Amino acid sequence: MILLVLAALGAAAHASVVTSALDFGRDVRPILSENCFYCHGQDATKRKGKLRLDTLDGQRAKDVVIPGRPDDSLLVKRILTKDADDHMPPLDSNRRLSEEQIQLLRRWIVEGAPFDGHWAYQAPQRPAEPKVKSQGWVRNPIDRFVAAKLDAYGLEPSPEASRETLIRRLSLDLTGLPATPAEIDAFLADTAPDAYDKVVDRLLASPHYGERMALPWLDAARYADSNGFQQDGDTYQWVWRDWVVAAMNADMPFDRFTVEQLAGDLLPDATREQRLATAFIRNSLLNGEGGNIAEEQRYVLLFDRVDTTATNWLGLTMACAQCHDHKYDPITQKDYYSLLAAFNNVPESGTAGYITAKIRSADPLLDMASPSQKASKARLEKELSEAREEMKRQQAAWELRATTGEDAVADGAVLDLLRRCAEQDEKERNEKLRKYFEEKVADRLPGKPAQAVKERENALNALKDDYPMVMVMSDSKPRDSYILNRGNYESPKGKVSIDVPGFLPPLPPEAPRNRLGIARWLVSKEQPLTPRVIVNRMWQTFFGLGLVKTAEDFGVQSEPPLHRELLDWLAVELRDSGWDIKHLQRLIVTSATYRQVSRVTPALLERDPENRLFARAPRFRLPSMLIRDQALAASGLLVRTLGGKPVYPYQPKDIWDSLAITKERDFSYPQSSGPDLYRRSIYTFWRRTVAPADMFDASPRQTCKVRASSTSTPLHALTTLNDPIFVEAARALASRVMALPVHDRLGAAFRMVLARYPDEQESARLERSLAKQLARFQADPRAAEAFLAVGESKRDPALDPVQLAAHAAVCLGILNLDETVSRQ
Amino acid sequence: MTTTRRQLLARAAAGIGLSALGLPLGGLSADEATDWGAAPGALPGLPHFAPKAKRVILLWQGGGASHIDLYDHKPKLDDMRFKDLPDSVRTGARLSSMTAGYKSWPILPAIKPFKAYGQSGTFMSEMLPHIGGMADDICLIRSMQTEAVNHAPGVAFTLTGSQVPGRPSIGAWLTYALGVKAKDLPGYVVMTSTDKGRTCGQLFYEHYWGSGFLPSRFQGVRFRAEGEPVLYLRDPAGIAPPQMRDLLDDISELNHHRFETQGDPEIETRIAQYEMAYQMQSSVPDLLDIDKEPKHVLDLYGPDVQRRGSFAFHCLLARRLAERGVRCVQLMHSGWDQHQNWSTQLEEQCRDTDQPSGGLLQDLKQRGLLEDTLVVWCTEFGRTVFLQGDRNNPKGFGRDHFGRAYSVWMAGGGVKGGHVHGETDEFAYNVVQDHVHVHDLQATIMHLMGIDHTRLTYRYQGRQFRLTDVHGEVVKGILA
Repeated sequence: MILLVLAALGAAAHASVVTSALDFGRDVRPILSENCFYCHGQDATKRKGKLRLDTLDGQRAKDVVIPGRPDDSLLVKRILTKDADDHMPPLDSNRRLSEEQIQLLRRWIVEGAPFDGHWAYQAPQRPAEPKVKSQGWVRNPIDRFVAAKLDAYGLEPSPEASRETLIRRLSLDLTGLPATPAEIDAFLADTAPDAYDKVVDRLLASPHYGERMALPWLDAARYADSNGFQQDGDTYQWVWRDWVVAAMNADMPFDRFTVEQLAGDLLPDATREQRLATAFIRNSLLNGEGGNIAEEQRYVLLFDRVDTTATNWLGLTMACAQCHDHKYDPITQKDYYSLLAAFNNVPESGTAGYITAKIRSADPLLDMASPSQKASKARLEKELSEAREEMKRQQAAWELRATTGEDAVADGAVLDLLRRCAEQDEKERNEKLRKYFEEKVADRLPGKPAQAVKERENALNALKDDYPMVMVMSDSKPRDSYILNRGNYESPKGKVSIDVPGFLPPLPPEAPRNRLGIARWLVSKEQPLTPRVIVNRMWQTFFGLGLVKTAEDFGVQSEPPLHRELLDWLAVELRDSGWDIKHLQRLIVTSATYRQVSRVTPALLERDPENRLFARAPRFRLPSMLIRDQALAASGLLVRTLGGKPVYPYQPKDIWDSLAITKERDFSYPQSSGPDLYRRSIYTFWRRTVAPADMFDASPRQTCKVRASSTSTPLHALTTLNDPIFVEAARALASRVMALPVHDRLGAAFRMVLARYPDEQESARLERSLAKQLARFQADPRAAEAFLAVGESKRDPALDPVQLAAHAAVCLGILNLDETVSRQ
Repeated sequence: MTTTRRQLLARAAAGIGLSALGLPLGGLSADEATDWGAAPGALPGLPHFAPKAKRVILLWQGGGASHIDLYDHKPKLDDMRFKDLPDSVRTGARLSSMTAGYKSWPILPAIKPFKAYGQSGTFMSEMLPHIGGMADDICLIRSMQTEAVNHAPGVAFTLTGSQVPGRPSIGAWLTYALGVKAKDLPGYVVMTSTDKGRTCGQLFYEHYWGSGFLPSRFQGVRFRAEGEPVLYLRDPAGIAPPQMRDLLDDISELNHHRFETQGDPEIETRIAQYEMAYQMQSSVPDLLDIDKEPKHVLDLYGPDVQRRGSFAFHCLLARRLAERGVRCVQLMHSGWDQHQNWSTQLEEQCRDTDQPSGGLLQDLKQRGLLEDTLVVWCTEFGRTVFLQGDRNNPKGFGRDHFGRAYSVWMAGGGVKGGHVHGETDEFAYNVVQDHVHVHDLQATIMHLMGIDHTRLTYRYQGRQFRLTDVHGEVVKGILA
């Protein structure tokens, strides 16, 4: 009956919702929004017949909606009319109301047509925890909300998962790395009642926690190691990436995390770290193409900042309001440009600045070099300037000798210049002489002055390639901001000043009218969206889907959350805990809801295919970065060093070849060697024009992305089967178990990846698989050698190559199991 | 476990149904190859109406191909060499920052004479004998208009409907809407090439064939010219195909076992994908093996066809992909950005691309494939009628970007052959009749594929998005 809820939940909602009371926000507004607001909503320029349906006044005007009298209400009449001209929605609009939707609108009017603002725009109140039947199942308030819905839908929670499953789930969710055999053993042996909580505490305190939790934030922050576009120059934004990991490891409260990234530079006595945090805003795509119009590109940057801020904190799709008032949400074009104004005072041109042939970074920049790098730079700059002085001195001396004939000059034109034979431009003369001296004369002289200059220039450039200058924020260039007609930077209309969207609680009068004011407002108590948006994303990390599925949109067109009370409870809890992220995450992962098995029964698949009610734990594919990390860790190859410059693990040959066309620098892929091949995926160099080939389904890191894509294609299978890092990891994994008795080996390898031993059937299949692989390699021992030679690390020469290769092949199979690439 | 219809619908909604895979299941018999308006994975109700074309081949000419030198015949300009372009003509055009500050605007006529081709007598440059040879099958549009002044935004605008990266490309929309019949190949294949001298600094970014907010299985798969054609296609060293087959069988059995206890339909999907990965390992090399093509066919594409990675080679592969049930083939070729090397490079560029383009049309035609294949020759913008650079240095001058008027052409499925649509003024500077905006071109491509561009939408960020934003009209005048 109620289609929207049905669509959200599959069949599960069917029975109970019909009997419950109508809710304007959940049941009615979505119908009006989807079908009517385009012409009868917020955007005055598109509004037809001076009628709006998104406000109470609008609905009550002109008998549009007469409470209690659906047949007299214009809304219903126009929907039901047979007159093609009067029919609503218009026949050519491609929008049709279903019979169910029409009945629902009638019922709403019969029930008095109650109106309510959009739920997400009202401050969350902490809801009372519901009473539930399965009291014994409840571990914390999350479970109460979940159990109450399960009760309402007549479902039971699933049993708790095994300890093996739980420790793998927790380890992957909180650190992105598999549990080690020792950690599994310890957990299995721990009979204390708080055994589970101890594991959670250990993982939350792990330095790898920050690496895991940073990943979705880096997607939202469109973080990359290059600018994108033609020259695709490298950047030093990785210094900011390390700031994020450190902040997460230190459990920086989310309000501070917000303020420092949006306005760290504006804080009183801002530290270097606080200014560094604002690199968040500067992670945009940066176009350095010849011919582009700098001011146009600067606006592209500003638009990106507004969109990123709105999506990331407010869950609002403000981009619509770039050209016109939003069709659905109460966001005006003025709101859009008032927020844009906060980002419009940066001393930047809009294009990528030149640092070296390799590095393009645009002002303002923050020097994040180490003291020794600074010292080296100062020394090289001094030497270079001395070398240039020396050259000038030698040139002057040579000119004197040459003019007097003491030093012979063969080139007549140069002689003419020296002797000032004709009237000429002084600047041009000097330039020609300088060139001649440097190219033809200088290096015949003692000390080879030109060569000395060149050498120092090269040394300085080489230093600059590694001298971190991070793009950060500064408000040192105040500009006036205007509403742009249709988003065109050449058509400014009314002037605006910095402000927050008018339909949300206002900036406090004492708040500074700048980014700092905006940032503090985002995490203020009155602001309804940020805490909801953030807990929803957190939920998404642990459950695959958010409580609001549209994590990027909490506006009128978003999905009405089935678990709104749970969302609001979590939002208030986050805010009132002092924005303590680890506290919230601990609540989630220690809940009974989280600890269930993920088994999908036919009944559950039928009633709740998307698992919106949480009658089981979710099961979803790991992000590709973590699939790689898991293989590295399980095989023992992983190098756990934290932070630092990006690294260049294996990529297909010539991966950057398409870029070589720019000719400005060497674009051969500088593959790392040694430990850097085995670092976590977060440290892999991210080139915007050509993303790492094995990071399938990852965000392209071009614009703000807050919802990960997870698909299944043959190309992914090819990657995990054939990418050298997986082949090498398979061999390393096999090497770890070769010392064990023959029949224990595969079981042990299996457990290093999956935290459990194979069951009998699985063991038998693995043994059969080994026998087949062994037969193949025995028939062709050279193939075994070739297989074992994949990757830079060397195989253990003490091991029989045929045996090792056969085990490695089976391990490659283990690394490719569905269970391996999934988190369950 | 039996699967109910409701479960299937639920799976489709979750984006994990078997039928919704990027590379769907199901065989393709010879007879079927010509009848697949809707294929496995198609959205309900699509195509919206009977398509004229079942597949599209985009011949992207990157860098901004000069309409003045190639397609837009303005013989009067020959008498106006280096004369200043009148101000009255010039008003209002948005120019790139390379020439926007110019003080004089010397006219540069077409580099070579034009000639009338075919029975239709369509005028094109004499540098294009092979494309000209197919003039009676070609619908030339001389009234294109774009909003972009620079390459990356211009290409993205034409291929995705937005100058800023992040929207789905045409090929992604098409495979999303119509599904794919190809059994063991991706539904949307991209190949890139550059002119031999690599004179053109333009890059081809992945967002030109991206899936934007559509599920990523709809993004184009780039077949690479160097190394492996598809990334990670080759088995690891030392593992022969039968051995990989063994291993895949074992993986599959273990996954089946897991499915029995876990019940997650996603496991079945993964099993199918591993199987298809294995099939691609033979289908892709088979596609690339052109040894069995007879000489007279290879000759159609010109001498470069033997060089892997060349535009000619890719044109031949485009035909082979069309035969194999691939929905969208996008060839991206660069080399048209003649700012400074107009006199030295333009003719060479024509030599590289003319015969392969014309040859592809002829080859498709003689196989009966042109009837339901839409071939689109397209570029991001045209070039200025006035000269960029120093007029006294013919080896160093050229033309700048120009989006206010330019030319593209279409051929095959559902378009008028031997037809010219639209007209510019005598300076090829302003469109004076039947202007075709980029969104109109997109709407028309969708229309020919059986899609109403206003009705193919995808809900994202609370809004129904479409390829043509809120614009675009089907160009009726070019429909056969």
